[in-house]
Amino acid sequence: MSNEEVYIVGHGMTNFGEFYEKNASSLATQSLNEAITSAQISKQNIQHSYFGSLVTNSNAQSSVGAESLRECQIPTPFTRVEAGTASGAAAFQQAVLAVRSGLYDCVAVIGVENLSDFVNNSTIETILGSTIDYTWEFEMGGTLTSLYAILTKAHMQKYGTTMEQLASVPVKNHKNGALNSKAQFQKEISLERFLKAKRIADPIGRFDPATHCDGSSSVILASSDFISSNNFDNIVKVAGIGQGVDSLALHHREQLYTLKSTRNASQIAYKMAGITAKEISIAEVHDSFPIGEILAIEDLGLFPKGEGGAITEEGKTAINADVSVNTSGGLKARGDPFGATGIAQIIEIVEQLQGQAGKRQVENIEYGLTQNVSGTGVSTYVSILTREEVKQ
Amino acid sequence: MEPPKIWREKRNRYIGIGIECSDCSSKNFPYTKRCPKCGSKNVQEYKLSEQGKIIQFSQVNQTAQEMMLNVPYTLAIIELNDGITVTGQVVDIDYPQVRVNMKVRMTLRILAKDGNEGLIKYGFKFVPLD
Amino acid sequence: MNKVGIVSYGTYIPRYRIKTEETAKVWEEDSKEQISQLQVDAKSVPGPDEDVITMAVESARNALKRWKGDSQDIGAIYVGSESHPYAVKPTSTLVAAALDAEESLTAADLEFACKAGTAGMQMCFGLAKSDMIKYGLAIGADSSQARPRDPLEYTAGAGSAAFLIGKEGIVAELEGTYSITTDMPDFWRREGAAYPSHGNRFTGAPAYFKHIISASKGLMEQLGSKPSDYRYVTFHQPNTKFPLAAARMLGFSKEQIEISLVCREIGNSYSAASMIGLAQILNYSQPGDRIFITSYGSGAGSDAFSFVVTDLIEDMKNYSFDVDYYINRKKFIDYGTYTRYKGVLR
Repeated sequence: MSNEEVYIVGHGMTNFGEFYEKNASSLATQSLNEAITSAQISKQNIQHSYFGSLVTNSNAQSSVGAESLRECQIPTPFTRVEAGTASGAAAFQQAVLAVRSGLYDCVAVIGVENLSDFVNNSTIETILGSTIDYTWEFEMGGTLTSLYAILTKAHMQKYGTTMEQLASVPVKNHKNGALNSKAQFQKEISLERFLKAKRIADPIGRFDPATHCDGSSSVILASSDFISSNNFDNIVKVAGIGQGVDSLALHHREQLYTLKSTRNASQIAYKMAGITAKEISIAEVHDSFPIGEILAIEDLGLFPKGEGGAITEEGKTAINADVSVNTSGGLKARGDPFGATGIAQIIEIVEQLQGQAGKRQVENIEYGLTQNVSGTGVSTYVSILTREEVKQ
Repeated sequence: MEPPKIWREKRNRYIGIGIECSDCSSKNFPYTKRCPKCGSKNVQEYKLSEQGKIIQFSQVNQTAQEMMLNVPYTLAIIELNDGITVTGQVVDIDYPQVRVNMKVRMTLRILAKDGNEGLIKYGFKFVPLD
Repeated sequence: MNKVGIVSYGTYIPRYRIKTEETAKVWEEDSKEQISQLQVDAKSVPGPDEDVITMAVESARNALKRWKGDSQDIGAIYVGSESHPYAVKPTSTLVAAALDAEESLTAADLEFACKAGTAGMQMCFGLAKSDMIKYGLAIGADSSQARPRDPLEYTAGAGSAAFLIGKEGIVAELEGTYSITTDMPDFWRREGAAYPSHGNRFTGAPAYFKHIISASKGLMEQLGSKPSDYRYVTFHQPNTKFPLAAARMLGFSKEQIEISLVCREIGNSYSAASMIGLAQILNYSQPGDRIFITSYGSGAGSDAFSFVVTDLIEDMKNYSFDVDYYINRKKFIDYGTYTRYKGVLR
């Protein structure tokens, strides 16, 4: 009964971008309906909906679930999960736990965020201030961007990571994003452009951070019971999940050149999946800032500590290279509607495992991984997916 | 910027009051009723060391409206002489002059102003120790 | 043995300065003429995150650090200013919190143009001498409002000075104090008005000079002293010319007043002005010196004080953060930056 296997049987995603005419619940409805259609199940099969969202909307509506489910006509119980900028992955992992426990056979996970309503950057900074130590970092003058800048400088100081190496992250991700029809930005951008841009929080430049935008992404999870009594093929299995934590404030961390929460989350996930980092050939990681991806590929154990910059610069994380990282375009090119990001990462790995990734397709993959980070790494969620041949 | 929160934090922010544990001797910031290291209730107020050095820093150009009066400013992680680390602004120095390991000392400054009618929030920042 | 006096003192002057010639350039006035009129080369400007509260705290902390006593023994705190950050909510209470002097003390904010700080000193002398408190802290601090294109714009500066007063550990013993107070519309600002108004030449002879001369003469008569008895003297310094003229009129020499005249470099720090002058005199005085100070506040009034410096003045001297340190720590800004820091852009 318990410790059921969990499968992803359907997925759906809106485009990510600026959609002033859409509110959060209509975005959620759109991606959820697409996921239900792709799963070829009926709405009545869904027993619980998990919504991953940080602020959702500008209208202070705390229950995006209630709003959306009325629009979708799916009167299921719902839970909203908030975990800062990792709300999507957190919702996903809660949903996985629910199916693994045997309580549910089929649940929906919807990540959603509408940020274009917040026309003043100051408001977004305050929202992001809630994901770091609000009283002792944000109110003291720290912002998410400037704290990531400090992480960047610490890495540069310890390992000699260069500005060019850092910029090679968004260059690669824009190249990949150009192949992704759902991405906010589908255009390549030159290294020069990143390096020449004005610094917004030295050394982070104006074009380095992922853009805050609107979007929703959904997946349908099912138990092995549900799988065997329905006709599914080409499904993806959740091989392992893990959450790691660290101090909320950067100034309480042991080291500034690594994210312990990523290391711990990945170790738990690898153990559960029964694999090591060597088996991972594709990963969607949290590149809200370039250093985010460099730290991720090191702390996930994909590459040696300190070499993340050189590795990226040398093209070893391009599509079909040593490990294909952020084939979707990452947060940078795809855009970052906070809660929707974690699920969008899952969806990219699902499509890759199913061979549906078109021009972004990576060959010969068995295990794929997603990494979603909250704030500056107070918590990280790592999820590992694999292909499953279903025994009928 | 609600009044009770500002009042509750005044000793932490104006004086730099943290916590010292009588049982395990550890010092922490800010003040809490139990020791964050060993959980003991035998704690008393502890005044932070006023001097320290910059561990790492960057510059802020964009933040919440009530803090925009300070922008652009240097933002740093500071290690105080007693080993406690805090995040704070470094003022009275031009950004190109700021260095890792630079010695600084605490001073009281305005952190935020709630528009023209709301409260003013004060707290410690750092100036170069020269 | 009912001696009372200054037990410690501290000052603070913000880092930024705007030159008289920079302001003159904006209004297309002759800067050489302005400088020769006022004898003020630049004025101090608080940074965007500074105000009377932050400056008052900094000067008070300097006074307490030099003193090495217990802030819990402070029984009264008075802050005098014409630019308190709040119209209603005291500066002195936040100062008390920041100095860890809460909660057993009395406090109030004062306003009397440039002599609010010295009025606070008199209140502390009275409370300490009568044993109603052990120590009192009197602070004068200002971040004065400067009307654009007004002669006073060149000199309306900023700063703070704090004096700790009591009976134990006296570094400068009070010999006597005497005040003149008259009602005088020489300089005023209505509630809600952004800038003060003033009577130009009317602020000279019948205002500044009349009150300073009367109060100073009155005190010397009371004490039976004369100008040559004093090593140093200082008067309120809205510019360099006025206090030099007052000294001459009273029979003091240029040498007696010179070292205290910081206004050439920082302008008029209003409630802090005469007190910063006093602090500077104390920094250079020797045990046994008699020193004299008369403040002036528009509206109008003057407080005159006579002190005898004690042996303990030497303990005050090895503290680095005082007048000379702050005078020399400076960064010149242009007029645009000045308007930004003053917060006049709405």
